[in-house]
Amino acid sequence: MKLLTLYNRVNIITTIVVMLITGIIYYQAISWILIDQADKSLKVEEDEVFDYVKLNKQLPQVFDSKDQQINFSPAAPNSVTREFIDTRYKKDKDEFESGRGLISSVTVNGKYYKILIVESKVETEDLIRIIFTITIGLILFLLLVLLVANRLILNRLWQPFHAILKEMKLFNITDNKEITQTETRIDEFADLNQAATAMTIRAKHDYKELKTFTENASHELLTPIAVINSKLDTLIQSENFNDRQSKLLNDLYSAVARLSRLNQSLLLLVKIENRLLTDQQNINLKQLIDELLIQLEDIFADKHITVTANLEDKEILGSRYLIEILLSNLIINAVRHNHAGGEIIINLTTEALTIKNTGTDEPLDEDKIFTRFHKSSHSDGSGLGLTISRQICQSLGLDLNYQYQNPHHIFIIVF
Amino acid sequence: MKLLIIEDEEGLRESIEEYFAEAGNICETAVNYPAAMAKIEMYSYDCILLDITLPGGNGINILKRLKENNHTDGVLIISAKNSLDDRLQGLDLGADDYLVKPFHLSELKARVSAIIRRKMYNGSNLLVFNEISIDLQAKTVSVHDKPLKFTRKEFALLIYFIANKGKVVSKNAIAEHLWGDGIDLADNFDFIYSHIKNIRKKLVEAGANDYIQAAYGMGYKFAGQ
Repeated sequence: MKLLTLYNRVNIITTIVVMLITGIIYYQAISWILIDQADKSLKVEEDEVFDYVKLNKQLPQVFDSKDQQINFSPAAPNSVTREFIDTRYKKDKDEFESGRGLISSVTVNGKYYKILIVESKVETEDLIRIIFTITIGLILFLLLVLLVANRLILNRLWQPFHAILKEMKLFNITDNKEITQTETRIDEFADLNQAATAMTIRAKHDYKELKTFTENASHELLTPIAVINSKLDTLIQSENFNDRQSKLLNDLYSAVARLSRLNQSLLLLVKIENRLLTDQQNINLKQLIDELLIQLEDIFADKHITVTANLEDKEILGSRYLIEILLSNLIINAVRHNHAGGEIIINLTTEALTIKNTGTDEPLDEDKIFTRFHKSSHSDGSGLGLTISRQICQSLGLDLNYQYQNPHHIFIIVF
Repeated sequence: MKLLIIEDEEGLRESIEEYFAEAGNICETAVNYPAAMAKIEMYSYDCILLDITLPGGNGINILKRLKENNHTDGVLIISAKNSLDDRLQGLDLGADDYLVKPFHLSELKARVSAIIRRKMYNGSNLLVFNEISIDLQAKTVSVHDKPLKFTRKEFALLIYFIANKGKVVSKNAIAEHLWGDGIDLADNFDFIYSHIKNIRKKLVEAGANDYIQAAYGMGYKFAGQ
């Protein structure tokens, strides 16, 4: 829910409740005042009747005044209690209005009469209605003005907030761009702005440190790996290894090769993220894939994998080195996770490149396969291949996605 | 041939020196920038193995000095930096090749041999080893002047072996040479065996000696002088 919506909602509900309560009180007060007035005029009339009776010893003539009717009726002595009542006022035949009445009694010449004086309340009610309508109208108008004003003011007030938010959304830790300061006179937003800026600077700094560390660590590792490698190469020149020794040497070779590949992959990742490989050239993907397929044909043959390639001409702009790595990673992946006698289908159109391969019967977890060092239990790769592939795609502004359509695992790059 | 190994890392320098040490080869070493500068000013070499990151200076400057002095020494850069800029800068400054650490000694030897071949036998593209002769330009192999049909990879492998004759070449080194080190093939090298088998068969059937021997399951050795 938006702050403005919530604010307005609270605002409207409280305003309406307060208005309702004050409205009721107001109505009651006005009614009371007006009825009191009516009662007073009824009392005046009653007094007039009493005076008349006192003076003339007879009931006054009953005549219809405009808004007042008097009615005398004989009653049992002392049976009438004096009271004010809400009643009906007969305006015409069969036409009634609400009225206010006073029941009283008078004794004329020993005869007991009940007096009923009724006054029309129409004008009183009209007055109340008018006053009430004007008041409600004013309140509604005020409310509307408040709403509009709130909207305008809040939108304006929150502008720096939205500006800061936008900057933060655009913030990319791998960019060199700092988030720009938003001008604001409001302390809270200025604080927010400062905190956001400080946070991004810190995040960038930490990220840079981390990257530098990875890069340095990988670089530092290169030399010892190179030494081990060369020592192994030297060692195998000596004669007379027994089977056990050669098995050990083989294992050492494999481990060093793996270490070295892992290290290279890490360095490559750092380079892609640092955008150090920015040479741009038009790469004909069809040609590159064809070359790769020839390069790898003995590996396909070794696993008895059938490769089908339907390639259209498609050029993309990017670093040849990176695109080569991307394609070979994906194709090698399709081999590595394939079973003997499986198939690989490569389709290249001007819209997309898809690489399908047979393999396990279960779909892979798309969220995990692109994360660093995630690998299936039987995989002997570095666990960085797909991470690198996706990074390369991102650096080229492309999307790399995974799908499973039994029996094929499919990797798709959409151009 | 006469080599200068400019490398500050002792372990690596010794291994290279030992690998290249054979009859007819002279290996000199320099452990830092001033020593390297002194050597290149005084002598000339068939090939200089140059590490870019050296104590006391940048290897690139050595390359620049060589170029200024119009030296014809072949130069192979061995660097820990696998960056395109460095590579291009090195090659622009007259280096003949660029090898990234870590590398196999056999790969280094093959690269050095190629550089020296280009330098020493100007214009000649023929590599002759006893009864085997290889036309590097036309990429053909013949034994006793009988042409053989070699695939691209078999051809590359044969040259690699001849450059490393008398040495045991590991399967890892062969795989990296044939498929590139960027390709993460893991440890299944069975397909190397079939290439080797094919080369041996073709050579022997054409009447050449069976030079290639398996070495303790670790690799292969091209025996012979």
